[in-house]
Amino acid sequence: MILLWEAKMKGLLVLLAVSVAVFAKESFVGDQVLRITAKSETELVLLKELSQLEHLKLDFWTEPVEESLPVDIRVPFHSLQPVRAFLAYHEIHYNIMIEDLQALVDMEQREMINTRAPEPRSTDDFDYANYHTLSEINSFIDLLVRENPNLVSKVVIGQSYEGRALNVLKFSTGANRPGLWIDTGIHSREWVTQASGTWFAKKIVTGYGTDAALTAILDKFDIFLEIVTNPDGFQYTHSSNRMWRKTRKPNSGSSCVGVDPNRNWDAGFGGSGSSNSPCSETYRGPYAHSEPEVKAIVDFVKSHGNLKAFVSIHSYSQMLLYPYGYTRTPCKDQAELHELAKKAVTDLKSLYGTSYKYGSIITTIYQASGGTIDWTYDQGIKYSYTFELRDTGLYGFLLPARQIIPTAEETWLALMAIMEHTKNNS
Amino acid sequence: MNWFCFVWTVLFSMVWQCPAAPSTPSPTAPGSTAQDEVECPSNCVLLIYSNRSTSEAQDPLVMTSTELNPDHYEAQRAAHAVRYYLNTLYGTPFRQLSFSKVHQARTEDLGEAGMKYLLEISVKDSLNKSSEKLCSAEVVYPRGETQQPPKVQISCAASLQLNTSAEEEDFYKRYSAADSAVSGKDIPDSYGHVDPEMVPFWKLAGVASTFIMLNESNENTLYNLAQVAKITQLESQNGQLRLEYVVLLHDMISQEIIRWKMLVSWSPAEGVKVSDTQLLPKCHCKPPTP
Repeated sequence: MILLWEAKMKGLLVLLAVSVAVFAKESFVGDQVLRITAKSETELVLLKELSQLEHLKLDFWTEPVEESLPVDIRVPFHSLQPVRAFLAYHEIHYNIMIEDLQALVDMEQREMINTRAPEPRSTDDFDYANYHTLSEINSFIDLLVRENPNLVSKVVIGQSYEGRALNVLKFSTGANRPGLWIDTGIHSREWVTQASGTWFAKKIVTGYGTDAALTAILDKFDIFLEIVTNPDGFQYTHSSNRMWRKTRKPNSGSSCVGVDPNRNWDAGFGGSGSSNSPCSETYRGPYAHSEPEVKAIVDFVKSHGNLKAFVSIHSYSQMLLYPYGYTRTPCKDQAELHELAKKAVTDLKSLYGTSYKYGSIITTIYQASGGTIDWTYDQGIKYSYTFELRDTGLYGFLLPARQIIPTAEETWLALMAIMEHTKNNS
Repeated sequence: MNWFCFVWTVLFSMVWQCPAAPSTPSPTAPGSTAQDEVECPSNCVLLIYSNRSTSEAQDPLVMTSTELNPDHYEAQRAAHAVRYYLNTLYGTPFRQLSFSKVHQARTEDLGEAGMKYLLEISVKDSLNKSSEKLCSAEVVYPRGETQQPPKVQISCAASLQLNTSAEEEDFYKRYSAADSAVSGKDIPDSYGHVDPEMVPFWKLAGVASTFIMLNESNENTLYNLAQVAKITQLESQNGQLRLEYVVLLHDMISQEIIRWKMLVSWSPAEGVKVSDTQLLPKCHCKPPTP
């Protein structure tokens, strides 16, 4: 207990020293801090005399007040010899508390720098191989824009139910271009998708001007990327429930919260493949586009009017899916979308051997009504796809962070296949 | 001057230790996965999860005797039922069975007796990653209003029988010690991390969960183990390691996370046995009113 107090006192005193050093820019090289506990009135008087010797420039951290209370003295390097001689002559016992004050100050300085919360100062410092919080991702977005003002801008397309900005990154090299849309994180527990989204953002800025295929795409199209499409849900997965999927809007007349944003779109809304119970994970909502997170995208798509591809990214299952989810009637571009999906998953597999299934939503995974890409396809955005990223169930939503970058890298190849085909056929 | 104040503050905080912020959700937070017992705060409501609702949510499957696309969901769900079955028979903390591919699939409508799925699948053994076995399997889903497990048969069952490994014996001995009291929660954690020492317990949860998953399977379900919420080792009995688990199962079709409590016993000789399974209700909590 005493030791702890002493350690803390020492720490406090060092703190004082450092603050003095910082303020006065003084050096403590070779200085020592001696601790003396006077055993008699005589010794106490001697210590008081010592403190009067101005030329020694002694710095008493605690004053000689009474016997048995320790007296701490910072002795500058040049005064060490005379002070030690003085103490030895009078047989005053002392301990060396700090052997080299400057060394200790330096060490504390270094520790201070290391324990400061590592806020990346550039998107080159951002840790893509890890999962991040909502505020870290929003900081990343602002950093990316600041670093690439001629290529990247932030478009706020609306607000979530709880008032969070719905941020979309716009990558553009010229005005009045057709657009390609990518969203991640519409289901908040699918963490590998938001993480991949940040990687995609960085990939685009580093690839423009260096990667011929990407540069050709960006010279014709704008890319829109919404990384955290469901920020309220995402915040909730960090603060309360890692397995939260839906939005966080309360449902009137129910104690259950949230709507499945991928059942809330006006495409086969209300049909089989979604639930009418607010407590269900696939609750469709009271009406189509009831969720502000969905409505914001709907409004953006309609007002933009010239999107040519729309990719909505989920996890898990390792699938690449095209419309429809709400009906077994094949979409009219089924053959082309199927062929393109085949090429995209082949490219994806080429990197790490990851196998994807592909096909329409309703045949491949399940019936789902009110889904995103059914709506975007019926709006005329032909190249509408949904990804289900890694894995196939071993880790599921809890994909280890070490798999983020490999997942993002392989998925990027599939995205490039889709974007290139869109470019060559629009 | 501001920088000086910052330096001071940071150094100050190093001297006086601040309590570390909790890294997992507080056990009393609503809807937290760290809960095992049903402790809902008073502004919440307990809901018994009913998986009957999933069959309303999907159009009824319409087929008599049909050739199936082996990559599509009908065949895939049946293949998962085979996976659950194989693990109930042969799974251990160090051995799990799965399938890499469905090669062929068709159905036979047995009328009152149910719907039969016939599959050709490649079975993967975690102990022998390089070779896969091509097996024929049959899954019969009974008809009826209440949930009944499918009946599964597989041609290569006998060839999957294996002797106990040294790894299993070592693990068993180590945790059979009288004072062994393993416990844990949230495995994997939010970031997908599993402590190396907990990996066999995680795998054991996966195997034990297949008992529940098989029981709960029908043509409209597809289960995976999402997370181990809680694990508590109990006193060994009759030479069996005994653990109480609370697991979160994810059903792909309804997208629900379903909480189950179960008692698992295992020894190399007896294999995995599951008893006292209990479906835990879900907490639904309204957010605090502003």
